[in-house]
Amino acid sequence: MSEQQHILTSFDRDLEAIQAMIMKMGGLVEQAIIDAAISLERRDEELAEQVRRNDRAIDELEERINEECARLLALRAPAASDLRTVLTVMKISANLERIGDYAKNLGKRTSVLVQMQPIDGASGAIRRMAIVVEDMLKNALDAYVTRDAELAAAVRVRDHEVDQMYNALFREFLTFMMEDPRNITACMHLHFIAKNIERMGDHVTSIVEQVIYLSTGEMPDDDRNKGDNTSYAGKKD
Amino acid sequence: MNDMRILERDVDANKVKISAQNCDVYYGDTHAIKDVSVDISDRTVTAFIGPSGCGKSTFLRCLNRMNDTIDVCRVTGDIRLDDQNIYDSRVDPVQLRAKVGMVFQKPNPFPKSIYDNVAYGPRIHGLARNKADLDEIVEKALRRGAIWDEVKDRLHAPGTGLSGGQQQRLCIARAVATEPEVLLMDEPCSALDPIATLQVEELIDELRRDYSVVIVTHSMQQAARVSQKTAFFHLGSLVEYGETGQIFTNPKDERTESYITGRIG
Repeated sequence: MSEQQHILTSFDRDLEAIQAMIMKMGGLVEQAIIDAAISLERRDEELAEQVRRNDRAIDELEERINEECARLLALRAPAASDLRTVLTVMKISANLERIGDYAKNLGKRTSVLVQMQPIDGASGAIRRMAIVVEDMLKNALDAYVTRDAELAAAVRVRDHEVDQMYNALFREFLTFMMEDPRNITACMHLHFIAKNIERMGDHVTSIVEQVIYLSTGEMPDDDRNKGDNTSYAGKKD
Repeated sequence: MNDMRILERDVDANKVKISAQNCDVYYGDTHAIKDVSVDISDRTVTAFIGPSGCGKSTFLRCLNRMNDTIDVCRVTGDIRLDDQNIYDSRVDPVQLRAKVGMVFQKPNPFPKSIYDNVAYGPRIHGLARNKADLDEIVEKALRRGAIWDEVKDRLHAPGTGLSGGQQQRLCIARAVATEPEVLLMDEPCSALDPIATLQVEELIDELRRDYSVVIVTHSMQQAARVSQKTAFFHLGSLVEYGETGQIFTNPKDERTESYITGRIG
């Protein structure tokens, strides 16, 4: 957003309201990621249930943001950076909503996993992965608020880190399952959790790409180095 | 989005109709237009936007030498219509204005019948050999002005008896009756209601098939709706000129951004 104020101050108030909602939504999603990971590590069913319940607030915010954006488009006919702000907000809120869903899914799987024998080291590794994603999201939202394309580009690169963590976990779970078939159920759930966190990273990447579009007017086009190669796991050379 | 719409936006493919280079305009001591260079494409609607007093109307009026009528006004630089300098001493301004027609802010029909309003130009320029010819020209112009159906039964009623929107479309019909190549419009819709405005905008889009249209407008939404290229003027200078979609989604100049987003600039 430009530093200057609109001549019509109610236009500024509309934009600020949308901005406040997206920040609130971002805060809730960050909390959901951390809580979901902690509930898994501490085998805390109560906290996992809370993550699932809190997802409703995230969904409601997405809906309100969409309504406000539609209103602003219809009534204000925003142009240039104002238009890009509205378009970006709509996409970011959709990304945040998806991340919230993944966190909720993590909560659901946690309530199953607490009834099983824990897998060595898995929940710690998943928590570390979640912390990286949460930190990326925090920076992505900071980059959005300050319209900082450089910070956004830096976040975009870090998705590689998450992909690599997921790769390592993928192999680890495969080993556990081969060692003892009784691990399969737990490892399948844990694998989905890891995959979901990896997907969260992709959504954060999409958010920072929107931030880059917002601040520069153009989408980044250079190909990132993709770290997730598990799609080829087991392939013979 | 289909290919046709994208093709339609590719206006740079059209040839240059009017080319202005290093134009300056002075009203006495006031430097109203400062070194403006712009190429206006054929078969394209070009919108001039900018705050009041930025020089957009003054510049528009240079394009058919309407500023000649103002004693203290001095125009320098090079303005070419199809590669001919329009300020050349051999150019007859009356002939020039037949080629470069103009529609004004307020509808200004002559105090004559609807028919005579349109027939006036073709008559003085000798475009019709006989009455049948003239009838045909008048009908064609009124059809182009998208007003034929509304007035065909009362062609000999006074033009001033029409509604504002009809009067403006009559003036557009009058402007196209002499078969101009360029149509200049100085805020053609500022005195019209929203529906009449849309009718005139639809008409502008149709006229684009045959003419180069240049429109000065205070309504940025109108510029966005009807034009393919937009020029933003500020304090007598041309700040930014580009494809309309680009100007309204991603302007390159901060002053353009401030103006179109409604911030103090």
